[in-house]
Amino acid sequence: MTRVAIIGAGQTPFRVRPDATLKELFAAAVEAAVSDIRHGFDPQEIEEAYIGSLATGGSQLGNFGPLMAENAGLTGAAAQRVENACASSGFAFRDAVMAVASGRVRFALAGGIEKMSDLPRARNRGWLGVSGDVEWERLAGTNFPGIYAMIARRHMYEHGTTRGQIAGVAVKNRSHAVANPKAQLRKPLSLEDALAAPMLADPLGFCDACGITDGASAVILCRWEDAGALTDRPVEVVGSGVGSDVVALHDRAVCTRLDAVRRAAQQAYASAEVEPADIDIAEVHDCFTIAELLAYADLGFCSEEEAGRLLDEGETRLGGRLPVNVSGGLIAKGHPIGATGTGQITELVHQLRGSVAETERQVPDARYGLAHNVGGSGGSAAVHILKAPA
Amino acid sequence: MTSYISLPLYAASIGQRLRLEAARCSDCGAFTYPQRPVCQNCHGRSFSAERLSGRGRLHTYTVIAPGGAPAEFDHQQAMTGALAVGIIDLVEGPRLTAQLADVEVEDLHIGLAMRAVVRRLYDQEGVIRYGTKFVPDEAP
Repeated sequence: MTRVAIIGAGQTPFRVRPDATLKELFAAAVEAAVSDIRHGFDPQEIEEAYIGSLATGGSQLGNFGPLMAENAGLTGAAAQRVENACASSGFAFRDAVMAVASGRVRFALAGGIEKMSDLPRARNRGWLGVSGDVEWERLAGTNFPGIYAMIARRHMYEHGTTRGQIAGVAVKNRSHAVANPKAQLRKPLSLEDALAAPMLADPLGFCDACGITDGASAVILCRWEDAGALTDRPVEVVGSGVGSDVVALHDRAVCTRLDAVRRAAQQAYASAEVEPADIDIAEVHDCFTIAELLAYADLGFCSEEEAGRLLDEGETRLGGRLPVNVSGGLIAKGHPIGATGTGQITELVHQLRGSVAETERQVPDARYGLAHNVGGSGGSAAVHILKAPA
Repeated sequence: MTSYISLPLYAASIGQRLRLEAARCSDCGAFTYPQRPVCQNCHGRSFSAERLSGRGRLHTYTVIAPGGAPAEFDHQQAMTGALAVGIIDLVEGPRLTAQLADVEVEDLHIGLAMRAVVRRLYDQEGVIRYGTKFVPDEAP
């Protein structure tokens, strides 16, 4: 397999953008990725484009990949949409990595997009909440807030995790987002306010969940040997793993861990030849606060019992031993579903290069970064490990 | 806009929905419920239908605040406010996600003995979609 480099990465600010079309958002993300390539790059060099989107922003478009490519100046590239719920662009990234690693193409693009605003509420309630086993979960009475709430309650019961530790994930990630101009929620949140927020699905409140966000992200990959001519700071993709599992939570033997993530992580660590202890920074899929605590154990950072304590002791905050979601995570940076996976990669690329514009949130000297992107309640997952330029 | 199961396919699933008919694998004896074309234990494809007892214990649960349930349950939430949902460990092994009925939310706890009842879930196309809910089991 050929070594793979990321040469450019960019995203739109994650916001509510009723004024921008899908086409404009995706074009802006690709432009940001192209202009990130220091020595200049013609996007017409891109041979294949993989674009993650759950439902093309609720509009259910066909031929969506080519449509996005055309509007971003990539006409002629073999473009396709990749769908795996909230892990869509994590899987799109995987496809682009493999396209380059196999030697099939020299340049590939992975990106993602979702436009969640600008739809009638009734329509949003139809296309969201369909990434579980709809017949037996949604149509029994629950969608994702309820599913993650049931995971949270069982985590509290089995592992002694507290409501304060769960809400603490939102407090930490909201504090990180204050310095990130790309983030949607930049107002800090106190633990007191988080716990006082109205209940959404007990034991989770409104501050434990993501909102409605529009955005797009894109990264450009090439063979390692070609990267040096284009940039003096290529980031290497050293580990890639994907996995899936039964889709309904009730079909899993243990509902406080995500085996799809464990399978993906095992592949990613093995291919990168690193251990969990080698990871210096991680962007994890905190679609609900409890999901970040699941990630700590599923990624091997600690046991399930220790997840709450890892958070409590500040090990995963900026300045801690293993900063997690320095971008603000999905909770605060925003979760435009299809854009999230390559948005995480974009954050890690800047962190590993030391090129984060806001120096107060730059993690110093990080060597290995990990991105963890989960579809639904764990039906699918992608884990990638990136390595800083030498 | 809502999710959708056509009436013919809903009708075809009434045995498993209302009578809790599981697929019992002819090769390994494991129950697959809800039914699927492939045994979830040994991947066999030969089954006989067998009714589950409907008895079990609450594995985990949540209480969804008004407006937080899927759109299909808006009408129910408008009348009842919060909606309780849980995962039930059935005594035969399978687990099922279902609403919890005839119980005060403060009486819910993991391990609570429960039994299945047939209740109205939601309406679509003017037809009531019945399904399984769970209520406390007085004599487990």
